[in-house]
Amino acid sequence: MSHDHPLIRLEGLTKKFGPLYANRDITLDIRAGRIKSLLGENGAGKSTLMGMLAGRLRPDGGRILIEGRPRHFSSARDAISEGIGMVYQHFMLVDAMTVAENIFLGHPGGILLQQDAMERQVEALARQVRLEIDPRARIADLSMGEKQRVEILKLLFRRNRVLIFDEPTAVLTPQESKQLFEALREMARQDKAIVFISHKLDEVLDLSDEIAVLRKGEVVADMTADRVQTKEALARLMVGREVILQVDREPVETRQTVLRVRGLNDAPLKDVNLTVRQGEILGLVGVAGNGQKPLVETICGLRAPGTGHVRLMGQNWSRFFRKRRWDGNLSYVPEDRQGLATCRNLSLTENFLLTTRQGFSRGPWLQRPAAEKRLRELIQTFDIHPPDPLSQARQLSGGNLQKMVLAREFFRRPRLIVAEQPTQGLDIAATEDVWGVLLKARSRAGILLVTGDLAEALSLSDRLAVMFDGRIVDTFDADDRAKIDAIGLMMAGVTETARSAIPDA
Amino acid sequence: MNAELIIPLLAAAIQSGTPILYATLGEILTEKAGVLNLGVEGMMITGALAAFVTAQVTGHPALAFLMAGLVGAVVGGIHALVCLWFLGNQVVSGLALTIFGLGLADYLGTPLIGQTAPGFDKLALPLVHGIPVLGPIVFQQDILVYTAIIMVPLVWFFLEKCRWGLNLRAVGEHPEAAAAAGINVLRYRWIGILGGGCLAGFGGAYLSLAYTHLWTSNLTGGRGWIAVALVIFAFWRPGRALLGAYLFGGVMAFQLRLQAVGTHLPSSLLLMLPYFLTVLVLVFSSWKSRQTDAPAALGVNFEPND
Repeated sequence: MSHDHPLIRLEGLTKKFGPLYANRDITLDIRAGRIKSLLGENGAGKSTLMGMLAGRLRPDGGRILIEGRPRHFSSARDAISEGIGMVYQHFMLVDAMTVAENIFLGHPGGILLQQDAMERQVEALARQVRLEIDPRARIADLSMGEKQRVEILKLLFRRNRVLIFDEPTAVLTPQESKQLFEALREMARQDKAIVFISHKLDEVLDLSDEIAVLRKGEVVADMTADRVQTKEALARLMVGREVILQVDREPVETRQTVLRVRGLNDAPLKDVNLTVRQGEILGLVGVAGNGQKPLVETICGLRAPGTGHVRLMGQNWSRFFRKRRWDGNLSYVPEDRQGLATCRNLSLTENFLLTTRQGFSRGPWLQRPAAEKRLRELIQTFDIHPPDPLSQARQLSGGNLQKMVLAREFFRRPRLIVAEQPTQGLDIAATEDVWGVLLKARSRAGILLVTGDLAEALSLSDRLAVMFDGRIVDTFDADDRAKIDAIGLMMAGVTETARSAIPDA
Repeated sequence: MNAELIIPLLAAAIQSGTPILYATLGEILTEKAGVLNLGVEGMMITGALAAFVTAQVTGHPALAFLMAGLVGAVVGGIHALVCLWFLGNQVVSGLALTIFGLGLADYLGTPLIGQTAPGFDKLALPLVHGIPVLGPIVFQQDILVYTAIIMVPLVWFFLEKCRWGLNLRAVGEHPEAAAAAGINVLRYRWIGILGGGCLAGFGGAYLSLAYTHLWTSNLTGGRGWIAVALVIFAFWRPGRALLGAYLFGGVMAFQLRLQAVGTHLPSSLLLMLPYFLTVLVLVFSSWKSRQTDAPAALGVNFEPND
């Protein structure tokens, strides 16, 4: 197929939600055999644009041309029949069914399901594009990366010509991301058109043939990848101002120990030792699913420890959680900000009061006006939008909701903060804000930063701990170059000193 | 107890379990499509009345049976309209359907109380009815009992082995994913609700055509509710539904016999037995196993985007 004529051309595409333009007069070409990146911050209109291309949203203006002919999509089905498929950020898979069943779902065929034939076909296809998967496995038992492979296979199985990936690496480990990129390149070689939506500069630069930058619903740049000069220039295009990708950490004197875990054994945790002092950030890195979750849950009182000692503020676990629940000692910023940290349908004031009652209650009565007044100040300090204590949590974007959670938790002046993936899914501006807040909080609290983002851990942490297979493989200072270079290997469990050097942190 | 007592008891268990079995299978179909329909009782009793009237007027029990299925589906269609079109609350709509059905059947059925209608008689199956023990229990029943038993593998086969069944289950588990795969979510939910209504109507028809042959007020007597509970007990599996329905039928038949024999226990306590068992069964099945086949999107309305 010739690469001169675009497979798909978007011409003057416009979409409005109420008075707001989500997309305004967008013109883009998508070519077979090329990887096109769509770069933009959250809310720049990337997902809306691709929603129109995937037939989920109807444009208010402009048109979509496929091989030069205008097409109108009235449902996802129309787009599917044109060979346009999308891998969503939230996987569209049925957890209770097997891989093969999911891939065959909605696929035309005879009345009867032929389980064996289905599984064989899936296996063959998986081998062809080198995305190995067990067709008999239930989706619920798969990792995020494996689920994503199922999504891709679903599209390939329908002979899609255009594959759209909406922030595909947000849920992947570094290794899984690398595998995904190889698969994407392989698919491009097989003449598929790939659209890669992201706000991560490094990934976009690494992968793309062409890059289009979206800002506030409009295309501000559309170029081939070799025309990009620097990462900073690209970031400036995306954000519309200078971006500081480095943070300045002023050293803070460490003081008393606020968290001490000694010899914690509780499957899958194996002999976990770590210490956090006031005034430092301990970055706990590792591929997701290596025991970070149970460890965090134990520290935050959601799960009783097995054998070993967990001491918070010098008190042992059961005593601490029996007695001192609501005072300002411990703050937990969970990964799941929509579910665990906030209640979607409650107002910001109510969400604020969820964990922070002290000072806002008299006897059995809550003092809402007082809480609302304090929250108004916090909203201003933390620059939360919309700045209305009465708006519901679900009305806030991911970044603003995270700032709200941080504002709430830090208001209690905790001495120990457990922050789990605090910037996952946030755009650059919001990430900068969250990092700033964490660094500021460090002056009076000890912070356990659990993250899958190595760059984040390296920019923020004073010390680093690497977790693999339920074990803390190593703990070291953030300026230990030799150790830092080996982190990748440690995360993968490849280390000769792993056994012998269980550290005394 | 001896065989003369036990065999008729078990045969009676199957008879009184059959209407529950129809209704449970129907509700499984509905819930597998992600719709909770608490109107089983209402669909059953309107089906029962429709069957009774049709049998009286035409004299054809088979036609009456089919009529009950049709009316059950039409009443179920109200639920579908409310929940699928107007995105109404499924619990409220289902409850309303039960109240509506019971009221309607009471209103239209009062003049019929005490009257009889031609129904189905016992039909001993050739060859197998002579098998000792099993023959008199299972193979000397009326044809509706056999149809109910055949329905069990049919529903299972539809859900597990057919493409449409797969689509229907997907709609009940994750409607957005099903829609993204090009499946018409609302169509499958309509199928689930109408099919469920039809089976509930069949269950009602069994009561008026085979179980009693005569019309009384409140003929269903809470069997629809037992069916709703049995779906959970059955983990949404047709095979377990058969087991559960006959178990409940057994308890119902047992307490009737106990009353007939005469015990010191007050009859109100005996009458309570099946419903008390329902509560127990619900407690245990929710407690013992966290991992059932409950459809993930059960009771959640699906709103197709613009």
